[in-house]
Amino acid sequence: MSVQHRKSSALMLATMLLLLFVIVGCSNTGSGDESSSAASDQTSTKSITMSWPRDIGTMNPHTYNPSQLFAQSMLYEPLISYQKDGKLEPALAESWTISDDGKVYTFKLRQGVKFSDGTPFNAEIVKKNFDAVMKNKDTHSWLGIVGVLDKTEVVDDHTFRLTLTEPYYPVLQDLSVVRPFRFLGEAGFPDDGDTSQGIKEPVGTGPWMLAEYKQDEYAVFKRNPNYWGTAPKVDQITVKIIPDGETRVLAFEKGDLDLIYGEGMISLDAFQELRDNDEYVTQLSDPVGTRSLLLNSSNPKLSDVRVRMALQQGFNKQAMVEGVTSGLEEPADTVLSKNYPYTNVDLEPITYDVEKSKALLDEAGWKLPAGGTVREKDGQQLDFEMIFDKTDPIQKAMAETIQAEWSELGVKVNLTGLELTVQIKRLKANDFDLYFWYNYGAPYDPHSFINVVASPGFGISETLSALPMKKELDDQVHAALSSTDETKRQELYGSILKTLQEQSAIVPISYIKKTAVYQKKISNFIFPANRDENPFVGIELGNQ
Amino acid sequence: MISYIGKRMIAIIPIVFIATLVTFALIHISPVDPAEAYLTAAHIYPTPELLAQKRHEFGLDQPLLTQYAHTIQKIAKLDFGTSYLTNKPVWDEVKLRLPATAELAFWSMLLSVLVSIPLGILAAVYKNSWIDMVSRAISYFGASIPQFWLGYLLIFFFSVKLDWLPVEGRGSWENLVLPTITLSLILIAVYTRLLRSSVLEQLQETYVQYARTRGIRERVIMLKHVLKIAISPLITGMGMSMGKLLTGTIIVEQVFSWPGFGRYFVDAIFNRDIPVIQCYVFLAACLFIVCNLLVDLVQLVMDPRISAKGRAEH
Repeated sequence: MSVQHRKSSALMLATMLLLLFVIVGCSNTGSGDESSSAASDQTSTKSITMSWPRDIGTMNPHTYNPSQLFAQSMLYEPLISYQKDGKLEPALAESWTISDDGKVYTFKLRQGVKFSDGTPFNAEIVKKNFDAVMKNKDTHSWLGIVGVLDKTEVVDDHTFRLTLTEPYYPVLQDLSVVRPFRFLGEAGFPDDGDTSQGIKEPVGTGPWMLAEYKQDEYAVFKRNPNYWGTAPKVDQITVKIIPDGETRVLAFEKGDLDLIYGEGMISLDAFQELRDNDEYVTQLSDPVGTRSLLLNSSNPKLSDVRVRMALQQGFNKQAMVEGVTSGLEEPADTVLSKNYPYTNVDLEPITYDVEKSKALLDEAGWKLPAGGTVREKDGQQLDFEMIFDKTDPIQKAMAETIQAEWSELGVKVNLTGLELTVQIKRLKANDFDLYFWYNYGAPYDPHSFINVVASPGFGISETLSALPMKKELDDQVHAALSSTDETKRQELYGSILKTLQEQSAIVPISYIKKTAVYQKKISNFIFPANRDENPFVGIELGNQ
Repeated sequence: MISYIGKRMIAIIPIVFIATLVTFALIHISPVDPAEAYLTAAHIYPTPELLAQKRHEFGLDQPLLTQYAHTIQKIAKLDFGTSYLTNKPVWDEVKLRLPATAELAFWSMLLSVLVSIPLGILAAVYKNSWIDMVSRAISYFGASIPQFWLGYLLIFFFSVKLDWLPVEGRGSWENLVLPTITLSLILIAVYTRLLRSSVLEQLQETYVQYARTRGIRERVIMLKHVLKIAISPLITGMGMSMGKLLTGTIIVEQVFSWPGFGRYFVDAIFNRDIPVIQCYVFLAACLFIVCNLLVDLVQLVMDPRISAKGRAEH
């Protein structure tokens, strides 16, 4: 190589390296300082560090994904708060009255409440928020109140009124959910008032305010100095975004995290291991939802209640739930657990009994051919397709267990693992035999559950479509949702739940629970009654 | 040389065109409707009216050809549209994350070059000695261990047990150490073996024997003659892995909570965030082509026997 060549090649390599250094150097500026300042803050203040798998999102109270519910609930508050066993308690509304016809709701707003920027909370801002939400009615149509809300009025500075087009009893429950009916301060509204396109800044009345935020990395929430209620015991909550469950556990073991809580935050194995370690505290919540198996009655083979009943009795639920979830879920006897309003009804559990199952299948005409392993009737085999979310290890293990147990009965199950979005699509298109389904939890249930029982399009009404009493069931649901009489409503719920239990088209498998793991310095950790809320207000820090 | 670079740059256009066409086709073959995926991800019940409205908003109700023409038109203007999920311009979101991935890619590449060049040469020169054994062990280990597992192992030992380094996150140089090692190990494995065999091959060449008989010192033969030729396949390998590193650090980003481009892309796939997917494919195609071009240019400069003309026709 000539001198000239050598020089030019050296020059070129040097230029390339320099270029890369510049890119990398520019990209790195500042980030180190920020995280170290966040870290040094933690030593001087009472601070808790937790993790979440996704970025907290835009913190807009009126929109959905990618905003995270727990974070929205730290900043923004509802008029009414949902508490244990479905009790409704005053939050930003101090009291409320409902007209006799069940159509007019008048709320007395709490006085002296201020947003985190010091501006007052009053009926004007409540109306402004309601109107901003209702401007995009279509987006929120999944929530019952949106479909029946007719008018919003400011009666006086601290009185706000809602008028409905028809009575709908779960109005108060709907107002307690995390989104969309929570309140953004004036300073957060965009100039045109349409919050669906974004907000200027996250200003709420809640106990926390967003102090520092780096997208995809961390968010720091500090106490809101203007908070009207009991101030949180800790000064600061730092949320680190850690998408991987195993990394989350390692960070916790190292002491970088004080708390891990939520649904499916860490694997069941990891939870089990942390539970066995005396250094940490673990907790399981009350049921937050039910894992059920839908037996689609619109399939002619499943339209016979004897077949459905045989299938429900034909697998050992207790053993399966304990085996697959290491006892972290609880076997479920009824579709809705009893910690919702109206669900504490006496229902006969359907217990494991293989002999009875076989007898029922025989009775329904599905007989085992001589030397065969799959039952037949009129030349048809008793076989089904079970679809499950292939990324969900619990669903997969349960599907395999059920497949094995039913094969003993002479029922053939073909398993199809699908991507979640495809699975949901098939549910809605009523294109399935067997499907894992979950109800919505508090504060959505039990009214959202009975609503999907009667409303087509969600997959549940279709699953129940061949039930002989389907029409009656639908009428009962409509009557319950619009009833203004508490006793009548309880009766209707009792009857609906009894029918569903006897028909065995929605087979309850287990109650899902939230998990929490925390360091010993944390005390007074209580799971929120509302599935989507945060548990931070009551948390205390011991001497460390 | 300039006309060669020009030609290569022009060649980017059809390649990117094909890449976008394939992506577009794949997205539309997928059984999931992006409008429905969007609503499901947002926990909004997709009523038929809402679906129709979203489909209209995303332009999904247009004929496929129009949709594709529209996509190409926008990409040509480097306008990648707005993310379905965050409602923010895709390019802004990418700009936010690309530097993090570039940082990781750069240090991993540097580390792997710094380790594999001496290790590869020594392994060849001292064939079958202990150093060759060590290099072989590193290569087997690096090539066979899954990256996520290596990541967890490193975190477990160096962060949890020894408390030397942070578990996750980005910010200081300490955060870089473990993900860089995780990413480099596989590269070190490949580069070391590549260089070893190519050095061994050169050592058999007659020019080396002539040089030896001329009494030139071994070190000089190695550094001035052998290495100059033997390093050529390594440079090709580096070019290929640079593209891969910049686009494919997904697992490592996930394990170390590194706020990079890979993680953003995985989320986009699950949410069928089409503008993001299209932007990713476009950038990936461009990156691969540019890295390839750089490799060719470096080799051209290093080995004058490969003429610019010959290369271009090749």
